[in-house]
Amino acid sequence: MGEELLHIGKDFPRIAEINKVTGKAVFIDEYKRPGMLYGKILYSTHAHARIKSINTEKAKRLPGVRAVITGYDIPDVRVGFLQDQTVLKRDKVRQYRDEVAAVAAISPEIAEEALQLIEVEYEPLPAIFDPVEAMKPDAPLIHEFDARGRPIRTNILPLPWKFQEGDVEKARGESAWTVLDHVSTTWVNQCCMGTSGCVAEFDSNNNLTFVSLTNVIFGAINRIKAYLEKIGLKDRRIRVLNPEAVGGSFGTKLDTDIYEFICIQLALITRRPVKIRFTREEEFFALPPRQPARFTIEQGCDKEGRLTFRKVDALLDNGAYTSWGATTPSVMMLPISSLYVVPNVSFQATCVYTNNIYAQAMRGYGNPQASFAVETSMDHLAEVAGFDPAEFRLINRNLPNSTTPMKLKITTCPLKECIETVKEKIKWDEKRGKGKYRGVGMASLIHVAGGARVYLSDGTGIRIKVNEYGEVDVVSGSTDQGQGSPTVISQIVAEATGFRPEDVNIIMADTALGLWDAGTHASRHTFVSGNAAIRAGEQIKRQILELTVQYLPKIIQKTIKDKKRKDPEFKEPELDFTLIDKPDKMDIKNGFIFPKAQPDHPYFRIDAKEILRRALHVGTGQSKVVVAEAFYDPSTEMLNNEMKGNYSLTYAFGTAGVEVEVDIETGDVKILKLVSAHDVGRGINPTLIKGQIYGAVYQGVGYALKERLQVIEGKVVNGNFRDYKILTAKDTVPVEAVIVEDPDPAGPYGAKGIGEPGLVSIAPAVANAVYDAIGVRITDLPITPEKILLALKTKGG
Amino acid sequence: MKREITFTLNNEAVVVEVDPRWNLLYLLREVLELTGTKEGCGQGECGACTVIVDGEAVNSCLYPVMEAEGKVIETIEGLQRGGGLHPLQQSFIENNGVQCGYCTSGMIMSAKALLDKIPKPTEDQIRTSIAGNICRCTGYVQIVESIQKAAEKLSR
Amino acid sequence: MLSFDYHKPTSLEEAIKLAGSLDNAKFIAGGTDVMVLLRQKKLSPKNLISLRNIRELNYVDTKAGLKIGANITHAMVADNDFIKERYTALAEASNVVGSQQIRNVATVVGNICNAAPSADTACPLLVFDAKVVIMGISGVRELSIDDFFFGPYKVAIKEGEIVKELVLPELRQHTGSAYIKHGRREALDLPILGVASMATVSFKGNESQIKEAFTKGYGLSKILECLEREGVAFDDARIAMCVMAPRPIRAKKAEEAIKGKMVSLSLLKDIGEIVESECQPRDSIRGEAWYRRHIVKILVNRTVVRSIQRAFIPDNMASINWIE
Repeated sequence: MGEELLHIGKDFPRIAEINKVTGKAVFIDEYKRPGMLYGKILYSTHAHARIKSINTEKAKRLPGVRAVITGYDIPDVRVGFLQDQTVLKRDKVRQYRDEVAAVAAISPEIAEEALQLIEVEYEPLPAIFDPVEAMKPDAPLIHEFDARGRPIRTNILPLPWKFQEGDVEKARGESAWTVLDHVSTTWVNQCCMGTSGCVAEFDSNNNLTFVSLTNVIFGAINRIKAYLEKIGLKDRRIRVLNPEAVGGSFGTKLDTDIYEFICIQLALITRRPVKIRFTREEEFFALPPRQPARFTIEQGCDKEGRLTFRKVDALLDNGAYTSWGATTPSVMMLPISSLYVVPNVSFQATCVYTNNIYAQAMRGYGNPQASFAVETSMDHLAEVAGFDPAEFRLINRNLPNSTTPMKLKITTCPLKECIETVKEKIKWDEKRGKGKYRGVGMASLIHVAGGARVYLSDGTGIRIKVNEYGEVDVVSGSTDQGQGSPTVISQIVAEATGFRPEDVNIIMADTALGLWDAGTHASRHTFVSGNAAIRAGEQIKRQILELTVQYLPKIIQKTIKDKKRKDPEFKEPELDFTLIDKPDKMDIKNGFIFPKAQPDHPYFRIDAKEILRRALHVGTGQSKVVVAEAFYDPSTEMLNNEMKGNYSLTYAFGTAGVEVEVDIETGDVKILKLVSAHDVGRGINPTLIKGQIYGAVYQGVGYALKERLQVIEGKVVNGNFRDYKILTAKDTVPVEAVIVEDPDPAGPYGAKGIGEPGLVSIAPAVANAVYDAIGVRITDLPITPEKILLALKTKGG
Repeated sequence: MKREITFTLNNEAVVVEVDPRWNLLYLLREVLELTGTKEGCGQGECGACTVIVDGEAVNSCLYPVMEAEGKVIETIEGLQRGGGLHPLQQSFIENNGVQCGYCTSGMIMSAKALLDKIPKPTEDQIRTSIAGNICRCTGYVQIVESIQKAAEKLSR
Repeated sequence: MLSFDYHKPTSLEEAIKLAGSLDNAKFIAGGTDVMVLLRQKKLSPKNLISLRNIRELNYVDTKAGLKIGANITHAMVADNDFIKERYTALAEASNVVGSQQIRNVATVVGNICNAAPSADTACPLLVFDAKVVIMGISGVRELSIDDFFFGPYKVAIKEGEIVKELVLPELRQHTGSAYIKHGRREALDLPILGVASMATVSFKGNESQIKEAFTKGYGLSKILECLEREGVAFDDARIAMCVMAPRPIRAKKAEEAIKGKMVSLSLLKDIGEIVESECQPRDSIRGEAWYRRHIVKILVNRTVVRSIQRAFIPDNMASINWIE
C-alpha cells in the first residue's frame, strides 16, 4: 500500500446521480407500469380486538375498484422473522396498524374511497401496553398459537438473548467502585423523506417482478419465494429490483414488510401490476420504528480505574409481532461486551409481546440504545471513582489486535486517537466542570464496519466488463439508498482496473443482473463490495495487460510502418520490447497502459481503448472481450449459541464530544459545538464520508433531544412532521467531522464502513455534556426540557 | 367540473384543464408529468413539494390549482438551461448536497428563490430559506455549503 | 373529497355577494389552513371563494397607526421595516410562522380567522389591541380583537362576512413589544405556548444608563436592577398568551397589577404568578399543563424585558444573556 493512490481519498463528485438534481430521477413515487392499479390498506381501529365480521360488498361495487381482499380471501400464511404474523388479519387484531383489508383500484383516490366503504365489526379485548404488565402470568395473551400451531402460554418471546463471559459476581465483589443505572430509550421513526412503496407484477407464467425499496434484494427473494410456495405458487422466478432512486432507508427496508406481501397478493388476484405507496401518515403509524429498550446496567472498576465487570439486563417491548427489532440484542452485544476492555460481562434481553407497535431495524440496530446505556454508566462510574471521564475512557480503551469477550477480533483501533482528537477540539480540559450552565461530554463507539454475519452468506458479487470504448460497466448485487456507494465503488473500481471514476458506470439493485449480495446493512457496503470490486478489478487489469502483451508489439510495428510510409526519412527507433513482454511489467492508470520501467515511453504508452478495440475486432475467430467477476464473502463467523463469534472482519471506532449550554429556566439544551471523530480505516471519498457523519450527527442529536413517537394506548398520536420533531436547517448543530485514518489491511485500500457509526455515540455524548453543565443525569431519551426541569427540581429540592 | 387555466411554466405557456380540487403538486406530477417535485407529506410540513410561484417559494401541495392562473411558475425541471446545469444544481453535485435526492428538488427551489432575491445571503438567511425543507440524510451541512458556493459562482 | 366550485372574485363587494348567494361556501385566502383541512376531510364545501385576487385587500397603511389588509402575508409583515421597528412583536410573530414557504402565502388575517389556539399572530394583535374590520352584506362593523376570539377555532364572524383589515392604534413614545414562540425546534413548529408583551415606560433617571443596561450581556436580574435604579416605570403594559386557554387571551389582571408600577425583579415575579393564575392550560401531546405554567412565567419576564429594551434601543445593539 506504499504506492500512491490515484482515486482513493479523493472527493470525486456524484456525477452518476445527476438526475437527482434535475428532477429526472425515478423514485417509487413516479414508477409506473402499463395498466398499473393502486393498492391501499385498511388498518385496525383497535389495539386488541376480535374481528367479528368484515363486509366488503359496498367497496367491491365502487366503480374503478378491481379487487377487495381480507384475511378470509387469501390463504392464512404466516410470515416474518418468527412467523407470528399473517398478511391480512383474520379473527383478531393485535395493534392499531394491523392490516385488515386491502383494495386495488384504478386510482389511489378511488382505492381510498373504497376503504371507507369496508365495514368491520370488532369486539374489543383487554389490551396491554406495558411489557412489565405483559410479562405477568395473568396478562391477556397477545398470541395464542405459535407458527407450529402449539399453544403459547406467555407473552415473553422464546428468544435466546443471553451472554456470559467470566464471572460477574466475583468481579463485583472485587471492584473498588460500582454503579447501577436504569436507562431507557423509546420509539423513534426513521423518517425517510421518500415513503415506503412497491410495485408487484406477475407475468403470464406467474413469475414475479417486484420493484421494491428493499436494501436486501436477494433476502427478499427468499422470503417472497417461501410465501409464494405456501400459497401454492411453486418454482416461480422472482426478480427484485429497486427503482432508480430510493428516498432513504435508515433500516426501514431490511425486512419484507406486510404491505409488500399485500401488494403481491393484489397483483396476483388482479393479474395487473399493483403499486402501494405509503402516505406520510402511514409512514408514521404503520411503519415499524426503532426498537425501544429499558436497561438496567451495572459496572465496576478497580482502584486504577480499570473496568472489572459489566452487567446489563434489557427489557424490549416487542409490540404485537416480530421483525428485526427483536434481534437488536445481537448488536446491543457489541458495545455491551466490547466497548472498552471489560473482562467480565453478562447480558440478557427479554422481549415481550404487547399491543403496541412493533419495531424493525434503524441505523445502528440496537447499538445507539445500548451505547447510551454503556456510556451513561461509564460517565457515572468515572465520577464515582474520581476519574476524569475522558481519562477513564482512555484507561479502558480497546487496543489494536485484541479479542473481546464476544470473540470479536479487533484489528486496527485508533480509539485513543479519536478520544484525544475530540478532547483537543472540544477544548475538554478548558471547559470541563466550569459551570455557568455550560458543559462538555463525550462518548465513544464500536460498531461493525464490514458487515455482520447474520445470513449464512455475507458475500457480495461484482461483475465488471470493459468495452472497446474504454467504458467500464460494473454490475453489483448491492443496493444504495443515497449514501453515494455508486461513486465510492466507481473510485475503487477505477483504482483497481486502472481507469478513471468517470469511465465507470454502476448498475445495482437488480437480482436478475447482479450476483448475490447479503444486503446493504451493518455498514458493510464499502468493505464487502469494495473488496469484491478490487478482486474483480484486478482480474480486469490483468486481462487487459495480457492482451497488451499480445497486441501492443503488433500495433507498434504497424505504427512504425505507417510513419515510414509517410516519411521515408523516418528513422526506425530501437525499441526494447522486453519492457512489455509480460503483464507484470506494465500498469494502467487513468485509462492509459504503460511500462512500469518507463511510464512515458513514446511508443509503449497507449490508450487502453486501442488494445481493447484491437482485441475485439480481430477477424480471425480470436475475438476477446474483457470481463471478470468476483464474489467476496469475508471470513467471519455466525454468532454461536453463546452469542459469541467474530461476525465482522473489521470494527469501526469513534468518539463524539459535545459542548452544550442549558437554559435552566426553560430546560432547553443548545449545542454549542459537536466534534465527531471516526475510524474509517481509509477515506475513499472524504466528502461523502463527512456527508454520512453530518447526517448521522443530526439524527443523533434528534435522538438525544427531540425525537420520539408518542404512543398512547398503542396509538401513534404525533404521526406527522409537525409533531414529530426532526431537526430543521435552522436547528443548527455546529459540527466538525474528523476522519481518522488507520488503514485496515482487510479493507478495500484499508477502508471500513461509516454508515451507522456516525449515529451511535451522539446521544450519550449529549447526555454526558448535560450532566457536566447542570449536574443532572437524564437516563431516558429524549432529553426533553421537561425532564431537565423535573430533574433540577428534584436535585434542588 | 373541469376548468381551463393558463399560466407560464418554466418559461413556456401552458393551457390545461383542471379540477378545482387539485393542488398544484397534483397538476405538476400527475397531469403534466413533471415528477421532479415530490410529495413528502401532502400537508406543507416538509417542503419536498416546493416550487417557485411569481418569485416566491411555496408548498405546491397546499397551492390551489385554480390560483396558478396567470402566474409564473418554476419547477426543478426548468433550471437546466440549454442542456447545462444551473449553478445550484452543479453545486449540489459537487459539494455533496444530494444524498438520497428526495428533498433535493424542493431544496434547490427554495435556494433559488432566495438567491434570486438575495444574491449574497448570510448563512442564517440560507438556513431560514430552507428551514421548511426537511432533509433526513445530510444534516444540512453540505446543503448549506452547496448553496453558498452556488451563490459565490452566481454573483461573479 | 367531494367536488366543489372555485370562485375568484376581484372585489370585496363581489366576494360578499357570492358568499351570500352560494350554497355551503367557504373563504380561502393563502390556503395553508384550508387545503390541509380539505385533505384531512374535515371540510366539505361545495364552493370555495378565493380572496387572493381582491387587490383592494393588498395594503399596509402606516399613515396613522397600522392598517393591514386581509391579503397581507406573514412574509410581507415580517419583512416590513416599519412593522419591524414599531410593531415589533407582530413582525416577530409573523417571522416565526411555519416556514418561508408558508409565510409566502399565508395571511395574518387568515391566521386569526382560523383561530387555532396556537395562532402566532394572535398574541401581538391582542397586546396592540387591534381592531378587526369586518364587511358583510349588511355593511361594515368593527370589533376589538379580544372580542373577535371566543373559543377554540371560533371567531365572531357571521356567515358571509369577510375580515377586510386589521387596524392597530398608534403607539406612544417609549413603547416596545416582543413575542416569544416557545416550541421544540426553530422552524416548522406550532407553539407549545406563545407570549407577547407590549410595554410603554417612563423613567426618572438617565436614558443612556438605561440603554447601557441592555448592551452588557447582563442577565435578567442585573438588567432589572439597573432599570429600578433609573426609576423606570410601566405607564402601560399588555400581556397576551396563546395555547394557555381555549382561545388566545390577554392577562388582564396582570396588566392591571403592572400599570404605573416601578420596574423591578420582584414586580416581574409577582406578575408572572398573576399571569399563571389567569391561564387554563391543558395537557396535550404537545406539552403538559405544568410545563406550560412553568414556561409562561419565564416568557412573561423575557418578553417584558425585551419590550423595554426595544423602547430604547434596537435588537442589533442589545446583548442580553438569559442564562445567568
